[in-house]
Amino acid sequence: MLTSEGLEEIEATRAEEPSARHALLTALRVTQRERHKVGPEEIEYIAGLLGLSPAIVEGVARFYDQITASPTGQHIVRVCGGITCYLSQSDRVAQDLKGFLGIADGEETSPDGEFTVRLVECIGDCDHAPAGMLDDRFVGPLDERALRTISER
Amino acid sequence: MADFLTRHTKDPAQKKLDTARGRGAYEGFRRALAMSRQEVVAEIDASGLRGRGGAGFPTGRKWSFIHAKEGQSVYLLCNADESEPGTFKDHHLMTFDPHLVLEGVAVGAYAIGAHRAYIYLRGEYASIAETLAAALREATAAGIIGQSCLGSGYDLSVGLQLGAGAYICGEETGLIQSLEGKRAYPRVRPPFPAVHGFLREPTVVNNVETLACAARIMAEGAEAFARLGTRQSAGTKLISVSGAVERPGVYEVEMGYPLMQFLSHEAGGISGGRRLKAIIPGGTSVPVLTAEEAAPLTIDYESMLSAGTMLGSGGMIVFGDGTSMPHALLRIAEFYAHESCGECTPCREGTGWMAWVLRRLLAGEGSPGDLGLLLRVGDNIEGRTICGLGDASVQPVRSFIRKFRQEFEALAPLPVAFPAWQLHGHGPRTGRFGPPVEEAAQSQPVEGPPDYVL
Repeated sequence: MLTSEGLEEIEATRAEEPSARHALLTALRVTQRERHKVGPEEIEYIAGLLGLSPAIVEGVARFYDQITASPTGQHIVRVCGGITCYLSQSDRVAQDLKGFLGIADGEETSPDGEFTVRLVECIGDCDHAPAGMLDDRFVGPLDERALRTISER
Repeated sequence: MADFLTRHTKDPAQKKLDTARGRGAYEGFRRALAMSRQEVVAEIDASGLRGRGGAGFPTGRKWSFIHAKEGQSVYLLCNADESEPGTFKDHHLMTFDPHLVLEGVAVGAYAIGAHRAYIYLRGEYASIAETLAAALREATAAGIIGQSCLGSGYDLSVGLQLGAGAYICGEETGLIQSLEGKRAYPRVRPPFPAVHGFLREPTVVNNVETLACAARIMAEGAEAFARLGTRQSAGTKLISVSGAVERPGVYEVEMGYPLMQFLSHEAGGISGGRRLKAIIPGGTSVPVLTAEEAAPLTIDYESMLSAGTMLGSGGMIVFGDGTSMPHALLRIAEFYAHESCGECTPCREGTGWMAWVLRRLLAGEGSPGDLGLLLRVGDNIEGRTICGLGDASVQPVRSFIRKFRQEFEALAPLPVAFPAWQLHGHGPRTGRFGPPVEEAAQSQPVEGPPDYVL
């Protein structure tokens, strides 16, 4: 289910920490990165990998925003909806970006599964309002140029 | 501008160990290692350093609470979760001077007798975690961190942990829970983390900037820090300013620096030639200030407190005239409703309610008592939750409504025949403490002024 690189990352954390439970957050992050979701199948897998109950894995997984039950696109664009960015009309930027990437109203992911656009809470990059992230990279301010860079990815 | 912490952050080469060491990095740690733990705690105490994450608790005193019994392990956790809206100072510090942060972690760990420390970063800071990881590899290879740090015989290992998107992980016991691989539900105190923290062992949780200050204090001496700032607010503060200013960004100022001077000089003035309307001085969890209130203030703990607000995290959000305060407040209220972890009922339900009532007011569906209702919901949250998120969610609601009352009152056209929630058949269900829903819908609408003193 995971790449050998991903498994190594989880294993390294597990080896460093007092118990398997401490590697759970890392396991969830790695799985989300590689599978673009942590659904029932992934939960069973992680539970087996770390020797934890699937209920525990699911309970933790559903607590965190970046771990999603349904699949995201290959790339995720987070548009900051924090107060500063909201005042720079980031909600409209998110709308524009969705239109640009062919994402239908009420949807988050493009039909080809390439991009997911999410309006999220403050990402801590307020001096680049309207701030945004392309996967793990800060790409704000989300001006026309940034939007083009994202769509060309 | 002051440069106690940010002297070298403009140079990209500062990330490299050689460059940083050439400028004195880890000399503070070296000096600490030559002293006893108690002496280091005393030095930090003498400097007057107070926590930079928001609460402003004296750092030396926090460290002095650690009394490990035989066989106990002590942990230092560096809080790099930085999720308070409007705050991005630690983002800046870790990106541009990772070795200073690591040195702070090392000093703090040594002072409390920890041999294991963690830096917990919010999930969005994955790229910053890479910067720190690279710095950590360099520092480990150079024998600064690891077995016998700098040849002193003191061992320290540092772990990096990324979160996965939850504001509550910045609350110290929430952070501990998350680090243990759990839902980040804050813990009831007492027992405090100093007694039962990470793995139920004595633990200190310090903010990134606090630890960076500690490193610099050890390098320059307590006196150099205490000399800066005011009597109750020693040193400097990183201010991350955003919103309606010409030059948003992170600036380091000496405590006691005039707020208006900061806005006009450092931040470049209000953007677009507009006038200042309001400022949230320390992240959305502290009360807002009107322009008139803000005018005489200085950037330090006591001045902010005298105006009924807090310096908080130093996440300063500036509003220009023309900003709709009700719309801004709704966005802030939605944040707390989204980020309430759900552990305590008053916060879980109350934050949702506050956002919901604001939303219906802004949709033109408000009812006469809504402003009073908002304040009452706030009163019912405050002081009734395990952690500070509930209290924090009330501060913007209360201060926005009281200070910009006319804007809110203009939203409630009176009288409204039925409250929107009754017409739409969802929202509150009155039970023991009120009439049944059907009965309430038939009763006369409440007329007259809100039954709550604003």
